[in-house]
Amino acid sequence: MGELVTLHTQELLGAQARGYLDRVHRALRAARLNNTFPDRRRLQCSLELLGHALDGGIYEELYLDSRTGLPNLATLTRVLTDQEVAQDSLTRMGERDELEARLEEAEVFGRLVDKHDYYQRFQGRELAPVDDQRVLLRRHDPSAGEAAFRIELTKLDGSGLYLRLTIELTQVAKLWRRRAIDLEDDGETAAASLAFRSTIYRCAHLDAETIFVRLHGIEGVAVERVQRGIIGPALYFLPGEDHGLPAFTAEPEGTLGDAWRRWLQQDPEPRAEVQAEPAELLMSFATDSAAIDVREERSNDPLSALLTDRLQTSERARYGALRERYPFRVFKDRKFVATRGLKPLARALCERANTRNLIYDLR
Amino acid sequence: MSGPKVDLEILNRHVAYTGEGISVQSLETDIQQERAVQDNKIGELKELRDRNVNVQKAMAEELKKLRRFSDYLNGTATRGGLMAGFKELLSYIPGLNGLVLSQRSIEELLKQQYHLSAKRVKEAAEYVDTLKKSEQDLYQEIDRINEKIVEMAKNEREALNYVLELKRLQQELADAEQAVEAGSVEARDIQAKRDKVYAKLAEHSTNVQLYGSAEERYALLKESTRKLGETIRNLGQDIQQYTTAASIKLDMASAQIQAIGRAADSSVVMLEMKRSLDVMSESMNVTTQFVSDTQVFFRSNLDTLINDLNTFDESTSALLDENLKTSKEIEQRRIARAIEKATAEAAG
Repeated sequence: MGELVTLHTQELLGAQARGYLDRVHRALRAARLNNTFPDRRRLQCSLELLGHALDGGIYEELYLDSRTGLPNLATLTRVLTDQEVAQDSLTRMGERDELEARLEEAEVFGRLVDKHDYYQRFQGRELAPVDDQRVLLRRHDPSAGEAAFRIELTKLDGSGLYLRLTIELTQVAKLWRRRAIDLEDDGETAAASLAFRSTIYRCAHLDAETIFVRLHGIEGVAVERVQRGIIGPALYFLPGEDHGLPAFTAEPEGTLGDAWRRWLQQDPEPRAEVQAEPAELLMSFATDSAAIDVREERSNDPLSALLTDRLQTSERARYGALRERYPFRVFKDRKFVATRGLKPLARALCERANTRNLIYDLR
Repeated sequence: MSGPKVDLEILNRHVAYTGEGISVQSLETDIQQERAVQDNKIGELKELRDRNVNVQKAMAEELKKLRRFSDYLNGTATRGGLMAGFKELLSYIPGLNGLVLSQRSIEELLKQQYHLSAKRVKEAAEYVDTLKKSEQDLYQEIDRINEKIVEMAKNEREALNYVLELKRLQQELADAEQAVEAGSVEARDIQAKRDKVYAKLAEHSTNVQLYGSAEERYALLKESTRKLGETIRNLGQDIQQYTTAASIKLDMASAQIQAIGRAADSSVVMLEMKRSLDVMSESMNVTTQFVSDTQVFFRSNLDTLINDLNTFDESTSALLDENLKTSKEIEQRRIARAIEKATAEAAG
């Protein structure tokens, strides 16, 4: 039933694992993600290869984060390391035809053929990274000593969510004492300093407005935009095979988790104990922007209010004073992809938070 | 001119050896071809040994880093003070010499370390199927060698039977020679026939020895091939056991590592960080211990195996050298031995 096997880790096997991968793959396509989010094609590519690994018996189980319902560090690392060893292994295995010709001889040849097919699929494929940080030069004005950069960090966060953090900022050279970003001699490429890079990495799980304030305080840096695109959480419900128990996201947190537990327990009898329910999936995709060109400060995210609204009265005044120093506004949004059985749950969340959100169908 | 009647048809009879005929040279060539398969597998094992050394070094390094992390967090590596401890700790992470901890994300470092460890275990695991394939190649080779052994045994029997028939003919001709006048035309004719019989006897008694020798050598080859197959099977099973254990531990540790990395980045939960690192250290420990054990295995088994094969080479070469000394005396002894053997088998 998607058993919890260790800290925040669920295990899916057989048809449930395959059903999960297929639905999440389709949900990623249905979500119409722009480049605020992690590259969905790369994530889909990782899911496809994990599916082939299950089909070929390379792996027997799929490990998911029980809080977010997404593949965890072990799972994404599996395909990444497989890609790294694939070429050497193919060379050692020899030709597929020769292996296939010996299928009757011993069981190992069947396994080698499966592995050969699996490793062949990695050629030329780009997989979802666990961590990937890039610094792109947007413009460079040597006369003014200014350079504008975009920093992109894709990260499987410690929270179990898969996110992309994009920061657009300008550095003023005359103010640099310790530069956050070094421009190479060619004036066309750049690299973040180690400390700056780590600061961004460590801050990735924070609200966009918190990151904005944190980075804007660095000497010589003017932040224009901080944008986060977050894939997840995903709530899945997968019927059991052969009268087995269903598998479902076990530990979702916050408002979504509460709604999920109610849905699992709803009449006529608790879904967690029912064997013949259809498979369901609800995936959410959040954006969180803090930028100088945002017109209206608002959260249209039913699962995440603005920071101001979450602070106590005493803290709110202090935060208000801090915000006056920085010229940005915040906009949060979230869209959903849902199967028919979970669409009401998504709608109820939006109604309760008084937000208007896109809910795409997953058929 | 008419002498005693002796049936000489036997001299013209075709002896039905199977295969392509045999000579010292052809036997040597065939054996060398069969040996090439073994040499190839030995080569694979040697490569594995070299790779094993590299994997062991890399794992030892990684384990050392993890232990340093763990020891530091346990308070045992901080004799030089807090910052000295941090700096020492970071000196074990590639590219981090001289940096202070605050400059790096512990979560990112741990994830990188996790990735490296997972890849290392996978590299070792990749050898399991390769070894199983090699094992199958050797079993196939044993089947081929068995066919050769049977073929050589049949040919030896053919040669022995023919030698016995020639011996009887030789005796009949000797008796016939006694019955005619010495130096007569009849006697000269019988002597000419006896020379022909002797030549045939020499030829086929050589075959008795060559086929007999080939049978023994193929049997020895089969034995060493079987040993090699068992060696490879045991090694494959051992690697499978340890890589499975290590990868399960790594899979289970991944969530803790990420959680603790994040917590450490927030400058908290040092004790839990140590616990998580202990889990990862344990995984690497299992692997390193095995790799270390296989070093001993390779030293004690592979080298012995290669030495045995060399000894086998020397003994067969010596036999071939002996065969090449085709003196009359040796030939006669060979004929005598072949007859003795054929007689014994016929009697048995």
